[in-house]
Amino acid sequence: MMRSVFKVSTGNADWKRPRKVAILRQIVEVCHILNARYTVKRAFERTFILSAILFWSAFCVPRLACAQQDEGEKLFKQSCTACHTINQGVRLGPDLVNIHNRRPEEWTVSFIKSSQSIIKSGDPYAVELFEKFNKMVMPDNNFTDPQILSIIQYIAANSPGESTGAAVSQCDCSSTDAPAQSVSEENIRSGQMLFNGKKRFTNNGPTCHSCHNIDRADVTAGGTLAKDLTNAHSGLGEAGVKAIIGNAPFPAMAKAYDGKPLTDQEVFDLAAFLQYVDRDSASNNGPYYGARLFFSGLGGAVVLFGLFAGVRTRSKKRCVNHEIYERQIKSTWEDSNK
Amino acid sequence: MDVRAQISMVFHLDKCIGCHTCSVACKNIWTDRKGAEYMWWNNVETKPGTGYPGKWEDQEIYKGGWEKKGANGRISLKGAGKLRGLLNIFHNPHLPVIDDYYEPFTYKYLDLIEAPAGDDQPTARPVSLITGKPIDIKMGPNWDDDLSGTPDYARNDPNLQDLSPAEQEAMFQLERMAFFYLPRICNHCLNPACVASCPSGAIYKRGEDGVVLINQEVCRAWRMCVTACPYKKSYYNWSTGKSEKCILCYPRLEAGYAPACMHSCVGRIRYLGVMLYDADKIQSAATDHDNDSNAIDLQMDILLDPFDPEVVQAAKENGMADSTVKAAQTSPTYKFVKEWGLAVPLHPEFRTLPMLFYVPPLLPVMASLSEAKNAEQEKKLDPIAKSWNDDWLYDTSTEELWGTVDQARFPLKYMANMFTAGDEEKIKDILKKLMAVRIHRRGVTVGDIPAERVQTTLEGVGLTPEMADDIYTLTALAKFDERFVIPAAHREQAMEMMDFVGDTKGSSGFGINQVAERGL
Repeated sequence: MMRSVFKVSTGNADWKRPRKVAILRQIVEVCHILNARYTVKRAFERTFILSAILFWSAFCVPRLACAQQDEGEKLFKQSCTACHTINQGVRLGPDLVNIHNRRPEEWTVSFIKSSQSIIKSGDPYAVELFEKFNKMVMPDNNFTDPQILSIIQYIAANSPGESTGAAVSQCDCSSTDAPAQSVSEENIRSGQMLFNGKKRFTNNGPTCHSCHNIDRADVTAGGTLAKDLTNAHSGLGEAGVKAIIGNAPFPAMAKAYDGKPLTDQEVFDLAAFLQYVDRDSASNNGPYYGARLFFSGLGGAVVLFGLFAGVRTRSKKRCVNHEIYERQIKSTWEDSNK
Repeated sequence: MDVRAQISMVFHLDKCIGCHTCSVACKNIWTDRKGAEYMWWNNVETKPGTGYPGKWEDQEIYKGGWEKKGANGRISLKGAGKLRGLLNIFHNPHLPVIDDYYEPFTYKYLDLIEAPAGDDQPTARPVSLITGKPIDIKMGPNWDDDLSGTPDYARNDPNLQDLSPAEQEAMFQLERMAFFYLPRICNHCLNPACVASCPSGAIYKRGEDGVVLINQEVCRAWRMCVTACPYKKSYYNWSTGKSEKCILCYPRLEAGYAPACMHSCVGRIRYLGVMLYDADKIQSAATDHDNDSNAIDLQMDILLDPFDPEVVQAAKENGMADSTVKAAQTSPTYKFVKEWGLAVPLHPEFRTLPMLFYVPPLLPVMASLSEAKNAEQEKKLDPIAKSWNDDWLYDTSTEELWGTVDQARFPLKYMANMFTAGDEEKIKDILKKLMAVRIHRRGVTVGDIPAERVQTTLEGVGLTPEMADDIYTLTALAKFDERFVIPAAHREQAMEMMDFVGDTKGSSGFGINQVAERGL
């Protein structure tokens, strides 16, 4: 950012000079006016400025620190909770408890920015993590350094034994989960309709199957823009599915549902549907034919081609004047058009 | 009786001079388009010859026409049908290819003008009208005209089957050869195989005049009609992806003009008129014969006498206009076909009941044929000249001036194979009639034939002197309006079958949507 601003200002040096003069002139003018009135209003001004400074230091500074912590919490809940917890155990990704102690800060920042480039650079710890968590890619995040730092700060504040008990109590991870509810047929059906787009999301979010596919006879084939969700439940777990649906960590999905979040009930229904689909497909894997399939296909092809060959035997194969044409003398001159 | 009207044609082959004017007229009007260059809706062939496309009469190659199969005596298409159609629906195996017709070509005439100065005369090279590239011309639509290339073409004529080797040799002896021309257009059959074969239902026979047409908007390029038509008169346009055929110049007919090929005919060989027929008998006429002369008789049976009050009454009940019945009564084709029995259809054994009839040519008859001691004579045959040194095969010195039809130099069998499904007697009858008319007219104009001899000749073929004069008049002297008796088209009625015309009529005071009552 700084760099680009710098570039712009140097690049437009032509107009900079006259404007600089103008600004200086204005300052001089203001000082002149202030000087002129100082004698009259001096006492009042001083009191005002003093009180303003006091007010700022007393109110805004803590407020600013508070805002920073709030931002960390907001970002964490928005982008991380789908896969990570703080001291709540492994979800899709590792538990991030005490991350500020376990890993150097620079490493954490760059990993959050782009985990794949770290893994590709061959960092042993990153590679080990990648292998450990089923080679699931952590999406890149478009956070600024201060934002990442705020997240780390939030995690540190909520790691046990590191901060005040009050902060810990603020991390109410269970609040992101939907209240316990038993899955009914109705939920699954409703989830299917939401997935298919037969039922509109309350907040007008885009329907799932515009990007995702589910390999099922009774579900319309969906898009191939994003992952096939047939076995999403066994891959992500119920909590993971719910977290991703409720708060997409993926940039494209987050953008798509920006300002159109799903309601808790919708998240629950979709998760129920995905769970149902996953279990159903697991129990419905077709029989395995092995080499028999290949050879029966081969045999069928032979029969079919034989049939075609048989059909062709009775057809007219060549022109009736074939022999005459064969005998005719062909010209040998070059084609001048070539 | 289900009386209907059919525009029918008669081509008088004795009058055809083989000038191809008809073909050119047709080409200029209808097929001078991209994709249609190779089509000749009207073409003129030399007989004996293989024709256009090559060997079109050989249905073992092209599988056209109808076939009587099985014990139930019903006929089915030779090359199409439900099961066969399904099996071949994406690949019709008996289609003629472009080389069976010929690859259409033109010449690069501009080269003659634009070639740079050089030592040699510039030439206009032939270029294909399909690919646009220079080609070697291999074939044309009338490549075997006037018996050119006889060993390849005339000797391979499918009609030569059943002819003895001696008879065949007789036809091809140098300086004694004979040939005639066979102009062909769509026969507008009563039992059209093309219509029956079309999977899209794009081909139809017009109700009012029996013209067979292909609806270009319905045609889906299956090309089953190309195979099914035994006369190979349905053509596939490779540019539009539709099949096309002779439309009998129906726009001209509707305006009262003769079709272009007939209008332009130099020899005035063509006649056109309406014939009434009994549609109830079509199936039996196509089915109840075994590829013999009975085919002709059955076809003649379904053609009705337009003077018969019963027929006229039935025609009226079928909604036929009086003007059409009147046209049928003055039809020249009715006279040639039914009244005089001079014209016969081409290849009735295809069972399509063609409605284009031919008056067979009374070809050189001034030579008699004797065939004896066959095996012995075969040995004497010169292998190169294909000729005998003595007068064994041919004797041109007949006692009578007219020779005898029985001993015609052109084998009757050949004609019979073409026109009467192999029945030589029928052909002989017709030729004798033609001969009798000539003898009669010679008696009238020259007077060197005794009257009683003329009398016996005419009686022998069942003609009266008046009939002979009529035949002579219609053959030799007929004017335009006698050769072409075109009924009023009554398009107003045809239009009412398809469109609701009540609005227009109501607004001009003719009443609402009702059958046209115009005193027709």
